[in-house]
Amino acid sequence: MNPDPIVRIESVSKRFENVLALDSLDLAIAPGQFLTLLGPSGCGKSTTLRLLGGFEQPDSGRILLGGEDVTRLPPNRRDVNMVFQDYALFPHMTVGQNVAFGLELKGQSREQIAARSKELFEFLQLTELAARRPDQLSGGQRQRAALARALAPDPKVLLLDEPLGALDAKLRSQVQVELKGIQQRTGKTFIFVTHDQEEALTMSDRIVVMSEGRVMQDGTPEELYYHPQNRFVADFVGETNLLDCTVREESGDDIVLDWRGTTLHARPHGGAMGLSAGQRVEVALRPESIQCFAGRPDLPNAVAGRITARVFRGSRLSVTVAVGEGNDTLKASLDPFLGDHLEGEELWLGWRPERLAVLRG
Amino acid sequence: MNSGYPRVLLSTAYWAFVVYLFVPLVLMVMMGFKDSRFIGFPINEWTWNWYLEVFRDTEVLEVFWFSLVIAVSSTLLSLVIGVWVASFLGPQRFRGKLIVLALTCLPAVIPGIISAISLRIFARFIQLEPGMLAIILGHTVHNVPFVALVVMARLSTLPRSQLEAARDLGADEFITFWRITLPYLKPALIGASVFCLLLSFDDFVRSFFLGGYEPTLPVLIFAKLRSGMSPEINAISTVVLVLTAVLGLWAERSMRRLDKVPPP
Repeated sequence: MNPDPIVRIESVSKRFENVLALDSLDLAIAPGQFLTLLGPSGCGKSTTLRLLGGFEQPDSGRILLGGEDVTRLPPNRRDVNMVFQDYALFPHMTVGQNVAFGLELKGQSREQIAARSKELFEFLQLTELAARRPDQLSGGQRQRAALARALAPDPKVLLLDEPLGALDAKLRSQVQVELKGIQQRTGKTFIFVTHDQEEALTMSDRIVVMSEGRVMQDGTPEELYYHPQNRFVADFVGETNLLDCTVREESGDDIVLDWRGTTLHARPHGGAMGLSAGQRVEVALRPESIQCFAGRPDLPNAVAGRITARVFRGSRLSVTVAVGEGNDTLKASLDPFLGDHLEGEELWLGWRPERLAVLRG
Repeated sequence: MNSGYPRVLLSTAYWAFVVYLFVPLVLMVMMGFKDSRFIGFPINEWTWNWYLEVFRDTEVLEVFWFSLVIAVSSTLLSLVIGVWVASFLGPQRFRGKLIVLALTCLPAVIPGIISAISLRIFARFIQLEPGMLAIILGHTVHNVPFVALVVMARLSTLPRSQLEAARDLGADEFITFWRITLPYLKPALIGASVFCLLLSFDDFVRSFFLGGYEPTLPVLIFAKLRSGMSPEINAISTVVLVLTAVLGLWAERSMRRLDKVPPP
């Protein structure tokens, strides 16, 4: 990371009774990033956020915010603000009073508060709602009000704890785009926690996948999607085919694999993998990476097969294809526009070597 | 329960209970309007005189104010102590919490006469003269458990994120309590204070044992009764009945209105 990180977490561990919530976590976050902590419940993502907010204290390690050690500082003395999962708007105050709360406590004058509130209300389209109380708002409006309140004191970092969980699916996808836009326009560092991989892929500049208090992979959405490093990430993020292969050789940027008698070619991602011939590896292949053909395609990776199941999903067609002697299957996501692909159809499947991710663990 | 028979039985029992509850009250109110010193039927002449008498009787008015001051002071004191106890006991988890809780509630369930006598002895022990201050303290001891329980119940429904949000936005613990917790407790505080006001205003035993020369209203009524039942007492009682009913209904209404919490 070239610029100085705005947040640095140094070997932080946290234990709750008998559960190790965080196992010596290290993380550096560059300013202006939209970073998502992604993982199943209990993976430590919320604990990380609460440690940054100051609601929990780490058992060991340090947390630095803009270079300053804040590990032992209470929440009110940290330059971060949080959007809570239930929004936590104060029910006895109007939206305007909610937003002004943090500004008053910063000792700002009446004029400063009014100016800052006006700016935020216009930015988040809340102007008409300023006089309402939280119970008079819809879910989406509440979410925006909570965002306005957290942005008001102009924090160094904004923490978001699954703030879209309470919204219905349609509104959620709309708010995802909005939130990303807000992050880009403010240029603020957003740390977003979710268990929804699609949400993470949509919004993030960088995703940190966590499991059992440890980082499983840290990268851009594309890296995570097409080059999962391990079985957990391949499995957790999106749908995937996991193929048990044997390594024939690794030479330069060509990895030659044997998959039940079929020769496959993969590209190493992020440097040579140091594979040796005869080694057994797992390889991940996204259903979307697979294309279908009537005859043998001119691709390094190609297998013939027969469709055994098909599910129409509107924009995509999910098929299960039996390949080889029929004991192995591949899931593929095809374009229904290019063919009906009924059950029993014989076809060829092919994919590019860079879409085949050799897992490290 | 749609089958007719038990339903009829149930509603009959209910109305019988209502009658049983209200007949004595109605009789008491009626007698206050009787133009005769003797309580009983038949009522030949009706009059407002007993009510005029009550409002002209400076002794009754003084005692009324005296009781009111005691009720208000002991209520305020109980609120402060009760909220303090609840905020201390509510969120904390420690060994023996149940015992501490039971100890807190004890004054509410000790028989009034026992508590009154022990308070009297204690007042003498700390050289506190019988009178207003002693009565206020006595009523406060009795009221605190009610406040603490009501406030604790309300406190347990306060989402933790509310307090965390306030801290996150720069409030220290004191400001968080003042600006978030206390407004959230408002319905509980209104309910508890009305309850305390009525308990105190109504109390006889503690006021009797802890009082000096000035009686509270129930003590005065008791004293007047000893010199013979008079419709003036009925009139006093009716005024008190109306005041307390109005206060109780108002509290119930405002609690319901304030209790509306936005859905999570």
